[in-house]
Amino acid sequence: MNPDLIAQYFNAECAAALAPLVTLAGGLLLLIVAEWFEPMNRLRPLLFVGSILGAAWAEVALLNAPVAAVLGGTYSADKASALWGLVFLASTLIAWVHARSYYRKSRPFLGEHDMLLLTAPIGMMMMAGALDLTVFFIGLELLSIPLYCLASFRRDRSESVEAGLKYFVLGAFSVGLFLYGASLIYAATGTLSLTALTAAAATGFSPMAQVGMAFVLGSLLFKLSVWPFHLWVPDVYQGAPTPVTILMATGTKAAALAFTLRITGLLPESSAGLIALLAVLTMAAGNLGALVQSNLKRLLAYSGVAHAGTLLLLVAAQRASGELSYEATSAALFYMAAYVATAGGAFGLLAWLEADGEHFTQIESLKGLGRRRPAMAAAMTLFLLSLGGIPATGGFLAKWMVFSVTLDAHLTGYAIAGVLMSVIALAYYLRVIAAMYMEPASDQVAPPMAKRTDAMLATAFCAAAVLVMGVLPSVFLGLI
Amino acid sequence: MHNLTLLTFLPALGALIVALLPNRDERVLRGITLFITSVVAVLGVSLFCAFDGSQAALQFTQSVDWFTLGATSVHYEMGVDGISILLVTLTAILMPFVALSSLGHISERTREFLVWLLLMETGMLGVFASADLVLFYFFWEVSLVPLYFILGIWGGERRLYATVKFFLFTLAGSLLMLLAVIALIGQAAADGVLSTNIAGLTDWASTTPLEAQFWLFAGFAIAFAIKVPLFPFHTWLADAHTQAPTSGSVILAGVLLKMGTYGLLRFGIGMFPAAAINAAPLFMILGAFGIVYGALLAMAQTDMKRLIACSSVSHLGYVVLGMFALTHAGLRGSVLQMINHGLSTGLLFLLFGALYERRHSRAIDQYGGVAAVMPLFAFFWVFAVLSSVGLPGLNGFVGEWLILIGTFQTSPVLATFAVTGVIFGAVYLLSATRRLLFGEITHDETRSLKDLNIREVAIVAPLCALCLWIGIQPSVLIEKTSGSLDALVQRVEDTRQTMVVGDLVDPREEEGVR
Repeated sequence: MNPDLIAQYFNAECAAALAPLVTLAGGLLLLIVAEWFEPMNRLRPLLFVGSILGAAWAEVALLNAPVAAVLGGTYSADKASALWGLVFLASTLIAWVHARSYYRKSRPFLGEHDMLLLTAPIGMMMMAGALDLTVFFIGLELLSIPLYCLASFRRDRSESVEAGLKYFVLGAFSVGLFLYGASLIYAATGTLSLTALTAAAATGFSPMAQVGMAFVLGSLLFKLSVWPFHLWVPDVYQGAPTPVTILMATGTKAAALAFTLRITGLLPESSAGLIALLAVLTMAAGNLGALVQSNLKRLLAYSGVAHAGTLLLLVAAQRASGELSYEATSAALFYMAAYVATAGGAFGLLAWLEADGEHFTQIESLKGLGRRRPAMAAAMTLFLLSLGGIPATGGFLAKWMVFSVTLDAHLTGYAIAGVLMSVIALAYYLRVIAAMYMEPASDQVAPPMAKRTDAMLATAFCAAAVLVMGVLPSVFLGLI
Repeated sequence: MHNLTLLTFLPALGALIVALLPNRDERVLRGITLFITSVVAVLGVSLFCAFDGSQAALQFTQSVDWFTLGATSVHYEMGVDGISILLVTLTAILMPFVALSSLGHISERTREFLVWLLLMETGMLGVFASADLVLFYFFWEVSLVPLYFILGIWGGERRLYATVKFFLFTLAGSLLMLLAVIALIGQAAADGVLSTNIAGLTDWASTTPLEAQFWLFAGFAIAFAIKVPLFPFHTWLADAHTQAPTSGSVILAGVLLKMGTYGLLRFGIGMFPAAAINAAPLFMILGAFGIVYGALLAMAQTDMKRLIACSSVSHLGYVVLGMFALTHAGLRGSVLQMINHGLSTGLLFLLFGALYERRHSRAIDQYGGVAAVMPLFAFFWVFAVLSSVGLPGLNGFVGEWLILIGTFQTSPVLATFAVTGVIFGAVYLLSATRRLLFGEITHDETRSLKDLNIREVAIVAPLCALCLWIGIQPSVLIEKTSGSLDALVQRVEDTRQTMVVGDLVDPREEEGVR
C-alpha cells in the first residue's frame, strides 16, 4: 500500500480523533484476556472503569482541540461529538454500576456482560461522529447487537428473553429500513458521504433519494422511540434487565438524536412541520400511555417516549430554522446530559428496588416508601420532578432550552402543545410521589434492603448532577 | 442587615438544619422553626422601615452572574420596589404565626412539615424579591412543590384530588407563562437587550408595539389569572382551601394568591402597558363579576372553609378590578387590599382552624351558640369578620374604598356593580357568623368547647392589632408604594398617549377615541 496514503489517513489528528474509540476497544480486548486468564479476573471492574475514564479523558482532550473530519472525511470528532461521547460514557458507567448490584445474586457471565456493555459506547460514538452513512451503520450495529444480547441477559426470566427477541426483531427491521434507504440514496446520488449529500441536497434531491431519506429517518425514529415507532419501548424497557434499560433509555436515544440532528440538512424544508407534528403526537402517545400505568418501570418507559417527542421538537426546529445552528445541538446536549442523570438515576433506583423482588416496581408497592426509605424516596422525588421539568433540577433548564429553540424557529403552536403535554406528564409523576409520601404504607413488607455502596454512590452522583444542572447550570453550559 | 438574600434563604437554611438535626424532640424542631421565621419577620419589618417609598427604583439590590443562555446573561438579582416590599413584609410577618399555629393541628411527621414550611417561605419570598425574570420564574414554579406536599400529606380526606388539581391548574398556567418568558427574552435579545433583568426587560417590552405585546401579555396573564384565581379559573381554590390543613390555607390565602395579583401588576401592567390598557375592560369585568359571583357562591356554602375560600374569590376580584382601573387610587387600593386580604382571610382561617381542632367539623350547622362557651374566640372572630367585610376603622375599609373610587373614575357602571359585592360580603359573612356563634347551642359537643388558649391568642391578637393599625394608619403602607405606583401610572399614561397619537393604535379604536 502506498505509504503516503497511509500517512494521509493515519496522522496525529486521526489518532486524537479516534483515541476514545481505541481506548474503549483496548479495554475490551483486555477484558477478554481477563476472562480467559484466571488471575486477572479480579481486575475486571478496574479495567472497565479505567477504559471508560480513559476514553472520557480523550474526549475532554478533544473538546479543547476538536478535529473536523478524519479518515477521508467519514468520521468527525468535533466539539459536539466529543460532548456526546461524554454523555454516552456517563450513561454506560451508570448502567454498569447498577448492573453490579442487579446481578449480585444470579451472577451470570459477568465477564461477557461487561464486554458487551463496553462495546455499546463504541457504537454510540461512531453514530454521533459519523459523516458517512456506512460509518453510521457500523456504529448502529456495534450498539444494537450488544443490546440485543444484554436485553435477554436474564435467561431465567421469560420477560427478559421476550424483550431481547422483540428488540432484535424490530431492531433488525429498522436496520433493514436504514440499509434500503441508504441504497436508494446511493443509487440516486452515487455517494454516502454526508458532506457530498449535503451539497447534493442543496440543489434538490431526486424523488428516489427523497424516498431513501424517508427510510433512513424512519429507522432513526425507531431508535429514538418516536410515534408510531414507539410500541416496542414499554415492553422492551420493562422486560430487559433494568441496567440495560438505563443504557437503552439514555445512551441509545442520545446517539440516535446526535445523528438525526446532523442529517436534518438532508431533509426537505417542508418536512419541519411534519416532524414537529410527529413530536407532538409522540408526546401525546407517551404521556397518555404513562397516565394509565401501574408499574413504575413501564411508566418511566412511556415517559421516555414523551421525552423523545420533546427532543424531536429540536430536530424540527433545526430543520425549520434552515441553517445548521449550534443552538439546537447545545440544547440537545444539555437535555440529554440532564436526562442521563435523571433517567439514569430513576431507573437505577428501580434496579435497586427490583433486587428485592420484581413486584417492588409496582407503584402500589411504593406506598409508604417515604417513611421506609426516606433517602431513596427523596432521590426518586428529585428525579421525577426533574423529568417533569420543575425548577432547581436539570430538567427545567433542559426544557427551557428546547422550547427556546422551538420558539426561535417559529414553531409556536407546537411549542404550546408541547408545554401542555408536560402538564399531563406531571399528573403521573405526582401520582408516584403521592404514593411514596401521601398514601398509607402498603402491606407488602419489603425485606431489609442490602446496602450497596456502589449503587448508592451512583444515585448520589446522579442526584447531585441533577441539582447542579438546575441551580448552577453554568458548570455544564460552560462546556457546551 | 438589609440583605434580601439573607432574608430569602434563611428559611431554606433553617429547613436544612431541621431536616438534618439528629435531635428527635419535636419541641426543639418547632422551636428552631419558630426562631428562624421570627428572625425573618424582624428582618422583613426592618427592611420595610428602611424602604424609601418615594423612590420608584428597586432598593436593596444585589446582583451576581448566574449563567448565560446563548447571548443572554442571566443574573441572580434581588431587589424590591414599593409593591414587593409590602408583600415581602406580609410573608415574613405571617410565617411565625403559621408556624405557631401548626402546633395545634400537625401532630405527625412534624419534621417533614416544618421543612416544607420553611422551604415554602423561601419560595414565596424569592418570588417577591427577585429582580431577574428567570429567577422570578424559578421561584414561582419551585414554590409549588412545598405546598403540594403540605396539602397532600397533612390535608383533609380528599387531599390527593385537591392537591393534584391545584398543582396541575397552576402548572398549566405557569408553562404558558414559561413560553411567554422565553419568547420575551428571545425577542429582547434580538433587539439587543442581553440581560434578563426585570427592569431592563420592562423598559424594552413596554415600548414595543401592541401586536408584539398582545401574545406575551396573554401568556403571562393566564398564569397569573389562574393563580389569583380570577373567574373562571377559580375552581381549584375552593378544593385546595377546603382540603388544606390550617397552615396550608393561611399560606394559600395570605401569600400564595398574592403572587398572582403581584404578577399581574408587575408583569402584566408594568411590562405590557399597551396590551394591559386594551385588556383592562375584560379584566375589570371579570374582576367585578368575580366579586359578586364569589359572594353568591359563599352565601350558598355550608362548609366554613369553603365559604372563606369563596370569599377570597370575591375579595381578589376587588384587587383585580382596582388594578385594571389603572388609576392612582385604584392601584393603591389594590395593593393595599392584597395585604388586607392576606391578614383578614389569614385570620379567619387561623381562627376557624382553632375551632376545627376542637370539633373536627367544617360544617357550619354543626356549630351554633359557640359565643356562649368561647367568648374570646367570638370576639376575635367578629373582629376578623368585620375587618374582612370592610368596617370603617379596620383595614378592609380603606382598600375597598380606594378601589371603588379608582374604579368609579374609569367605569361608574362597574363600580356600582362592585359595590353590591360589599353588601353581599356583609350578608354572607355576618349570617355565617350568626349561625356559628349565636343562637341556641344545638350540639352537645359545643357545650364542652374550651376557649382559645394563650398560644392561640398570641397568634391572633397581634394580627388583629395589625388590622386595626392599618385601618387607622393606612398612609404608612400607601406611602411606601407611592413611588413605584406613580411610575407605573405614568408609564400607562405615556403609553395611552402614544396609542392615541401614534401609529400603534388600531384604527377602530381610534374611531372610538374620537
